[in-house]
Amino acid sequence: MKPRPSLTPYAMLAPTFLLLAVFSLVPFVWAFATSFYEYEVGGASRYVGFANYVEYLHDPTLAISFLNLGILTLFGLAVVVTAPLIVARLIFSLQSERARYLYRVMFLIPIVVPGVAGLMIWQGMVYNDMGFLNELLRLAGRDDLTRGWLTDPRTALWAILFIGFPFAGGINILIYYAGLAGISESVHEAAELDGARGIRKFWKVDVPLVMSQVKLLTILTVIGSVQGFEGMFILTRGGPGFRTMVPGLWMYMNAFTFQRMGYACAIGVILFLLILGMTILNMRYFRSSEELAGETG
Amino acid sequence: MLRNLSLVLILGFATWALWPRGEASDGVEGASQQSSASRPYTLRFAPGIYMPDRRPMDVGKPIEGLKHVAEEFERLYPDTRIEFTEAPVGQREYLVTQLAAEQAPEILNVNVEDVWQDVQKGWYIPLDRYLERPNPFIPKGEPGSVQWWDQFKYQAISRGKAAPDGKMYCLTYDMIETGVFYNKNIFRRLGLSVPTTWPEFVRAEEKIKAAGLIPFLVGSTSVADWGMDLVFDQFYGEILPGIDLAKDPVREEYMKGYLDWDELAFLNSKGFFTRRDPRYVEIFRFLKNWRKYFQKNMASEIFRLFVTQQGAMLWDASPMVYRLNGDPDMAFEWGVFYLPPIPRSTSRFADGHPMVVVGGAGTQFEITNSAINDTGDAATSVKLQRAIAFLQFLTVPKNTDLVVNEVLALLPNIVGVEPRPELMPFHEILQRNYTTTKWLYAFDLRFNEIFRRMLDLYLDDGIGEDEFMKWMESNVRTASETVVRRKGIDLSKFEPKWRELAPIRAGMRELPR
Repeated sequence: MKPRPSLTPYAMLAPTFLLLAVFSLVPFVWAFATSFYEYEVGGASRYVGFANYVEYLHDPTLAISFLNLGILTLFGLAVVVTAPLIVARLIFSLQSERARYLYRVMFLIPIVVPGVAGLMIWQGMVYNDMGFLNELLRLAGRDDLTRGWLTDPRTALWAILFIGFPFAGGINILIYYAGLAGISESVHEAAELDGARGIRKFWKVDVPLVMSQVKLLTILTVIGSVQGFEGMFILTRGGPGFRTMVPGLWMYMNAFTFQRMGYACAIGVILFLLILGMTILNMRYFRSSEELAGETG
Repeated sequence: MLRNLSLVLILGFATWALWPRGEASDGVEGASQQSSASRPYTLRFAPGIYMPDRRPMDVGKPIEGLKHVAEEFERLYPDTRIEFTEAPVGQREYLVTQLAAEQAPEILNVNVEDVWQDVQKGWYIPLDRYLERPNPFIPKGEPGSVQWWDQFKYQAISRGKAAPDGKMYCLTYDMIETGVFYNKNIFRRLGLSVPTTWPEFVRAEEKIKAAGLIPFLVGSTSVADWGMDLVFDQFYGEILPGIDLAKDPVREEYMKGYLDWDELAFLNSKGFFTRRDPRYVEIFRFLKNWRKYFQKNMASEIFRLFVTQQGAMLWDASPMVYRLNGDPDMAFEWGVFYLPPIPRSTSRFADGHPMVVVGGAGTQFEITNSAINDTGDAATSVKLQRAIAFLQFLTVPKNTDLVVNEVLALLPNIVGVEPRPELMPFHEILQRNYTTTKWLYAFDLRFNEIFRRMLDLYLDDGIGEDEFMKWMESNVRTASETVVRRKGIDLSKFEPKWRELAPIRAGMRELPR
């Protein structure tokens, strides 16, 4: 006799799914539909077909915002792949388990500071007129080099990029650490028998075997970069000019400042397709350590 | 068994946590509910700078004038409660979401130009019919006893706030004006006097700069807003008779020569405000040339730089009087002057006429759609009647004096209420003609955003003149097209007047090529 399926799990899942549908899936579908309308909050909507998409292709902010997005994403990737991995490896190589635990905690502690507060600290204490950077320059007698770091067209994007320096805090270190800890001791011993030590061992053994972690962080970084705009919103509002504008922020401004909901939805759909495309590419061409192991094993 | 028990406990706790709270039995909440029951009409009021029990600009003592006026009004209308609230009215996101949901405070103070963006949506109540009737709180024979309108002192500016649809959504309660605050000690030390012409002004800036001080402190938005409008008026004033096409029967009397967005859009189609228009190009060159006297970082806290005497002049508006008077670090004497005219010797497009007013209306009260949510119809809404009555009560001279003159920031716009003596320089500035146009309010918010950003970038050497002018040109063109499409306006209505003015333009030089 075929066992009778229990409805209890479905019933338990239903409220969650319902809320998810109302707050995530419906708006998502709604955004697709709205992107074909000229729609202003409180006003009448008008079907315009692909006009919003065509207009975005001619939008003067398009090139600069995607260029900024590219720079921010590449820089973010470079940072996420290097600094936390190096720090994780250094912690991993400590002899004392107690010391390893202590360093992991110390590098993790900064995540208790909310992201917005972190941005405000950089804005107010580092980049401000009387902030750390300008005061340092004044102390060095280089008053001529002081500037509004976030408002000067030559430095604004760099200032944004360097927020979070030295980029070696938070959960990324733990992810890499877990990856390094998962490498079998026999692999290390075999590598050492083959004469691999230090940097050579790091490149030849550790890095290939934490590729799953690299892949995960790459996907998360790309998605975060394309979606994210809160940093620019808080610090520069995309300025000076459009020097730190990103598509997400322009989408937000069109939706809530200019009330051009249809146009904003069109930008949102384009960003969705971009993220989808990049994630697929990443999944297909960026091989994880398991795949590498399968190939070599 | 244990698993089921824990499930039951979790569900029980969740039910308890989510269960709506019963009627409060404590005194405060109970009293509030009782008060709400006996006063069915609650008017939420976001009064801006006059918020009771607050220290305006974090200076001085908490103010309370408006609270007293509201209490007196509540005594007159026992069915109405005035509830003061703070609202981020400068944020478009707030306005749009609250008004769309009919949740905004019943009375808001929003710049009327922001209201104009939304008038077609029914979010604000037109006030014309009330302004044209007597104010019931005014005794017979006094201004306002025939028409509420007669109570307003600065008629030109107050009536000029009618929306492009011809209706009045705004009550201009007080006035604000810009001026150049200057450090008299620094001026005396450097042997400077108040400049009366632009070359004198530039010489003063040079001398201050040579002394190692910042000559002119100004916010970046002020340059895009006031700076642009003043220089535009200086350079286009001479050709205005040949390009001012619309004579609005209501507003023209008060805003002579003002160029509305539809006139700007039409003129743009004739080559104005493009790279082919030498005056337009010259405005931005002029502003760029002026930029070298401003503080290095346009986002700096300019007030602090002025108070600490790192800068000699500060271009700001009348509320700075309140802040300067109350600042504990203030250690010098200061005065106010207005920017001097630009003569032909400085620019070939200027004719040396006095600089115009770019401020005007200060606190602007609007009644929102929340005020009619008792019946949903303005004709039958008692709540709306109470909101109108409250605004009328607020404009009674003794109440205005109590509210506006409690804060040394704005000039009362009610006949019979004199401004505080410290604000008289701004009163004198307000007697000048109004600006030719307000660029930052001319079209839509997208236009403003691009205009302001790219001007900042150009002034800070982030972009060359050619590229900047391309941005300006495309921005005006796009904004013109958008505004014409959205409002469904036929610009060809200006053609006859354009042709009629052709002989006047024939004698004018350097019109768009």
